[in-house]
Amino acid sequence: SDLGRGQGQILRFKLFDSQVDEGFWWRLSSLKLDVLGLDQSPVNVTGFFAPCSHPRVSQRLSLLAESLPEVSGEQSASSDPAHGNRNRCPVPGILYNTNTLESFHALDKKNLLKMEAEKILLDISSGKVEEECSSLLRFLVISFADLKKWTFHYWFAFPALVLNPPATLVSLQPASEVFSTEETDSLTTACNEWRSSSLTADVPFFLVSIANNSRATIRPLRDWKSCQGDGQKLLYGFYDPSHIMSNPGWPLRNFLAFICLRWKIEKVRFFCYREKHGMADLGSSLVGEASVSAPQDWTERRSAPQATGWEPNASGKLTCRTVNLKESMDPVSLAVAAA
Amino acid sequence: MVLTQKLHETFKGTVERITGPRTVSAFKEKGVLSVSEFVIAGDNLVSKCPTWSWEAGEPKKRKPYLPPDKQFLVTRNVPCLRRAISVEEEYEAAGGEVLLDNDENDGWLATHGKPKETQPNEEETIPSMESLAINSEGPIRSISTYFGGAEEEDIPDMASYGDPDNLLDVDPATLQPTYFVAQEPEEDNILRTRTYDVSITYDKYYQTPRVWLTGYDESRMPLQPELVLEDVSQDHAHKTVTIEDHPHLPGKHASVHPCRHGAVMKKIIDVLMSRGVEPEVDKYLFLFLKFVASVIPTIEYDYTMDFDIGSSSH
Repeated sequence: SDLGRGQGQILRFKLFDSQVDEGFWWRLSSLKLDVLGLDQSPVNVTGFFAPCSHPRVSQRLSLLAESLPEVSGEQSASSDPAHGNRNRCPVPGILYNTNTLESFHALDKKNLLKMEAEKILLDISSGKVEEECSSLLRFLVISFADLKKWTFHYWFAFPALVLNPPATLVSLQPASEVFSTEETDSLTTACNEWRSSSLTADVPFFLVSIANNSRATIRPLRDWKSCQGDGQKLLYGFYDPSHIMSNPGWPLRNFLAFICLRWKIEKVRFFCYREKHGMADLGSSLVGEASVSAPQDWTERRSAPQATGWEPNASGKLTCRTVNLKESMDPVSLAVAAA
Repeated sequence: MVLTQKLHETFKGTVERITGPRTVSAFKEKGVLSVSEFVIAGDNLVSKCPTWSWEAGEPKKRKPYLPPDKQFLVTRNVPCLRRAISVEEEYEAAGGEVLLDNDENDGWLATHGKPKETQPNEEETIPSMESLAINSEGPIRSISTYFGGAEEEDIPDMASYGDPDNLLDVDPATLQPTYFVAQEPEEDNILRTRTYDVSITYDKYYQTPRVWLTGYDESRMPLQPELVLEDVSQDHAHKTVTIEDHPHLPGKHASVHPCRHGAVMKKIIDVLMSRGVEPEVDKYLFLFLKFVASVIPTIEYDYTMDFDIGSSSH
């Protein structure tokens, strides 16, 4: 069909959508009161996401209670209950929670974003990404928890390395239109197997190789070398939270940077993996080709990379969001409601 | 009302403490589930409908009679494109038949508010849809979230802080919403919709599953439980749907009260058996979700239609 859709255009990515569960704020409040006190050191948090599973709604990057360490101090018996949960792929993040609204606004946002982008670049060049690919999705949250008013101000950033010149789009189509029926069936089976094994279910970046006999296999990034040659087709796959048919989601951005920096590839065939009802759906998944060139100064590490990724608020402004949980957290409100 | 509810909760807690969990199956006789049957049915739901998963929940709220990593079931980010309340109004206006027919025409579930197959955009009566697209014409209507709405004056105007960080550099590779609304086909618009996290817990007193709703508004902010009632069939809103503490999560959540679950499930099982279908206990949650669909008709979580409910004797 429309093979040429977007040909030569700048490839545009749909930003992650953040969502914060009430449980996160409950746990942050206890952490602040019982453990952190006035300490404003950054806290490691874990965000969770999954591939898109509904044709009208993108998946979010969510913070839940489990995103923060447990307050009680008692190490939970089950070491890592979230691991292997296909609907909760963990993503490393960092939280800067300030003590006052003034210090919240005084945070040097540009620099914080740059610091995270540098970590991503370091993980790319050190090879860490091949072992822990979710580090490509590293994110940042700044917050001010006003515990007197049960009000939380917060702002997410999803740092992306800015390629200059930006990647351009050669083609983009639904995967089912690109592959033959045999290839589609084989890839669907392979994806469903990858997603149902607890070892791989939450691994969001992978390699798709399709042999001449139409047989598709999915391999971890570290198998890249052994995927070379043999004349098979090689695609770079990722869990795509975006539901939009015209644009890939945010994870592809740093993935492309990784592919061109680490593996020196300039024409990248990518696979935006999406699901329907929890099963691989190649009708809504996308296959595209991007043309990428790695900036010279990155590889020579002469300058820090440019980064982007602060999330706009609900009205599209680049500013923080605010949630007031007085109704559900304030003991006085609760008592009044129960009376 | 609230007092009686509280008294009942206390009573229920006492009974739960002194009675052991059901271990013998009364699935077909009473429509109830033992703890181990709940885990079996939950495992089956997770394997057939993988958007559901088991979770551990808050460690402090852990129930000793359930496996630590299988405390409750959850499916997240489920869209709810239309308000149940407005769907029902349409239905009544059309002289509404309130039986839910499926393909086999066996309307065994009497229900209100089967969603009509219309494009949501056409409905002017649905409030949430007005803020649908991030549209270039005019500002987006402010979406009032309950949390925060009441005390708006207390919240400093963030815009007054300006943009000292100069984050507004236009990045050419970031998809700008106006870009695709203006130029791309309609299906690619970003739809703003309420979403739900739907969870299923085990109620030891009633020996049935119990469903909980955690809502998010169009801007992904927590939805006050009272507003969740707009997405509940009006037969159930304020009656069987109550707002209570979640057994495994912090905060108040809307829940379908389980007092009639056993009886309803028994009825469904009887209808199936009268047709020669032998219901299997591991399919319990598929049946249960059919029943729940009559309570929350516009939350799009249910796709269990395709599965056989039991072994047919035909």
